[in-house]
Amino acid sequence: MQRRSFLKLVGLSAFFHQWLLRDLSAAQGPVVAVAEAKDHARATRAAIAALGGMHRFVKKGDVVVVKPNIGWDRNPDQAANTNPVVVRAIVEEALAAGAKKVKVFDRSCNDERRCYVNSGMTAALKGMKNVELKFVENERFKKVALRGKALSEWELYDEALHADVFINVPVAKHHQLTKLTLGLKNVMGMMGGNRGAIHKNIDEALADVNQALKSHLVVIDATRVLTAHGPQGGNLADVKHLHKVIASTDIVAADAYATTLFGHKPEDISVTVAAHRRGLGEMNLKKVRIVKA
Amino acid sequence: MKKITVARLFQLLFLLAFLVLFVRTEYRGSDTISAAVNSLFRMDPLVAASYLAATRSFTWLLVPALVTVVATLLLGRFFCGWICPLGTVLDLVTGKIAKTAPIRALKGNLKYWLLLPVLVAALVRINLAGVLDPFGILVRALTFFVHPIIGDAARSGWVSLYRLLGERRDHLAPAYELLRDNLLPFRETFYPLAFISVALFGLIIFLERYESRNWCRNLCPLGTLLGLLSRYTPFKRTPAALCSDCKACRALCPTSFDEGVLKQEECILCMECQKGCRFDRVRFPLAGISRGPTPYLPERRVLLGGVVGGFFLAGSFRYRSPESQPRLLRPPGVLGEDDFLKKCVRCGECMKVCLKGALYPAVAQAGLEGIFTPVVVPRLGYCEYNCTLCGQVCPTGAIPALPVAQKKRAVIGKAVFDKNHCLPFARKTNCIVCEEHCPMQQKAIRSEKVVEIDPSGKRIELQKPYVVDELCNGCGICENVCPLEGKAGIEVFAVKERKPLAAAALTQSPGSGAAPGADPYQ
Repeated sequence: MQRRSFLKLVGLSAFFHQWLLRDLSAAQGPVVAVAEAKDHARATRAAIAALGGMHRFVKKGDVVVVKPNIGWDRNPDQAANTNPVVVRAIVEEALAAGAKKVKVFDRSCNDERRCYVNSGMTAALKGMKNVELKFVENERFKKVALRGKALSEWELYDEALHADVFINVPVAKHHQLTKLTLGLKNVMGMMGGNRGAIHKNIDEALADVNQALKSHLVVIDATRVLTAHGPQGGNLADVKHLHKVIASTDIVAADAYATTLFGHKPEDISVTVAAHRRGLGEMNLKKVRIVKA
Repeated sequence: MKKITVARLFQLLFLLAFLVLFVRTEYRGSDTISAAVNSLFRMDPLVAASYLAATRSFTWLLVPALVTVVATLLLGRFFCGWICPLGTVLDLVTGKIAKTAPIRALKGNLKYWLLLPVLVAALVRINLAGVLDPFGILVRALTFFVHPIIGDAARSGWVSLYRLLGERRDHLAPAYELLRDNLLPFRETFYPLAFISVALFGLIIFLERYESRNWCRNLCPLGTLLGLLSRYTPFKRTPAALCSDCKACRALCPTSFDEGVLKQEECILCMECQKGCRFDRVRFPLAGISRGPTPYLPERRVLLGGVVGGFFLAGSFRYRSPESQPRLLRPPGVLGEDDFLKKCVRCGECMKVCLKGALYPAVAQAGLEGIFTPVVVPRLGYCEYNCTLCGQVCPTGAIPALPVAQKKRAVIGKAVFDKNHCLPFARKTNCIVCEEHCPMQQKAIRSEKVVEIDPSGKRIELQKPYVVDELCNGCGICENVCPLEGKAGIEVFAVKERKPLAAAALTQSPGSGAAPGADPYQ
């Protein structure tokens, strides 16, 4: 067949049989792995394995940044920060895949010393070789031209930008302004300056930032989730235990799936909708391959 | 330094202990600080005396001061020559400072004119002892000036290394972190009154130009008080006066022998005379209790003058500007302003230990009587929900040491929205960063959803925040994180009634049910 006639055929079939092409792309659509286990380290490993294993992302000698939520001076039971067990499992997987160094940090909202200790992160990563649990330092924020819809430029954290692999590890929880906070919003922890100011147009602003700082792997901690009074919580009555870990390379798809755990639809979350519209990933769960691990 | 005497050894040990405790007065990974510089103030009889005079009540926190009193009655003014870190600093530098003649104006009764009015003013309930207390002067100079400057210098150096080396700086990180976690202040906080604090300390060093231990023998109110107590010590140095054949003691003694006789109330038992005596004559034998050769107070008019002076001194500091009162926020757990001022020694430890740099010394907000006392400045730092450190390090309990559950309920003030600034009201844009950060489990800041027309004519769903007074403890995180530049859209204001929040309010929603302005969390 000649090239021209092939193109004609494809073009025509695309015109008349949109559903056919859609199915075709769906087959190649993003994968979201969902693992459930009371052993949260095992759930984490299973979710990553279902995506093809950590060695798909981390090559020998890579510098890996793991970005959990360590924003609040809350303990692990209160579900305001990422589960330290999940973080440790990811760090171990990254090291096993050959990472030269794994750095773990977050720009916390409360006092960073208290957050790191109370979240259980300090204890979980203590004594691990080639692992740095470090505080965010102001001088490392670099102005990045975002040329986005809401932000033309912003200061982002250079260690996250320069990492060979950036692994985004949010905890799934309630948030009054955005309804939920998941992977897309977790990246706010890599923003410098007066980041609260982006709340006035947070949907587009988060899409802008996520466009500049891509998460190579998103692992959402839903081992226990905060269903109300987020993002800090504090009341154990607001905590629900799901024992789930969600992993994907598509941040929008991961967020979209996690949304359903709260009884919301992905289109209810305007942060997800904006990111999808901006081409950051798939929010239609029908087009996402969900793998239960 | 010459041969080391036991006194010298003690001095250096106590100075070292003091510096270690000072550096430890900071969050270092534990919720509790077992030992801090406060122990120094707790064994300070001047602090105890003024506390007793002002509050007319006793606290077990000051038991160590009683021990000092008893020991001084027995042994004399050993405290100044063996323990006081300010005295040790003076001993360390005085050798390097050439002496001119003593200042005549400082001699005589000046020190009583300082001590007595301060104590009498405390009796009239204005406790100013901390302003002139030697530890207070030393700790404030270190807290407000020396430590922040060192911290800032180290931090700037570290930052410029980054500009120079980039990521390669990471190789040096372990060394820097060791310094940061053990020696440096964690935050670069700059304090008002830093200059005055260090100037007062500098002045004391400057006075060494005229004679050694000039501050100690002529001014220090603590030293003067200890001197009064030491009158009856059964241990009296012999010989009591300079020996006619030698007179070396005049040069050896750092504090006394101005008039050829040893003044009991100025002898700090440093033992330099014993060590330096060529004839081995100096002894400190147990001589039995006897009254000193001089009258207890030099003159009756000093006593009368001190009392009258103190009374009027107390009156002269009372003015308070009304504009500053609404923002006069005291640390958590402080219930009443008057009681607080009676107990606060203005040592600056709470400000040093404050995790988020929320506490600063008052300049004039609390009137002149409140200078150096701590105030919360929420725009610079807020009170961390789970932190109880300021109460732990307060030497006198002016800031009560509350368990964490109680501290969370302690009211610093109440947050109030300024709708002319707050974004959802003033600009019709969403924000509620304050709500996000509010640490109360049931949220003292909530929001109601309203649909409005924004300036461009679009319909917009706005979340308009409001404060639930029964839940607000005035921690100030809302004001601190408000993304508005300059003035915040929400501010914490002082309240007279600082009764702790009801325990029940923290776990259940108050007024649930029929409350108007429906609670979005129900």
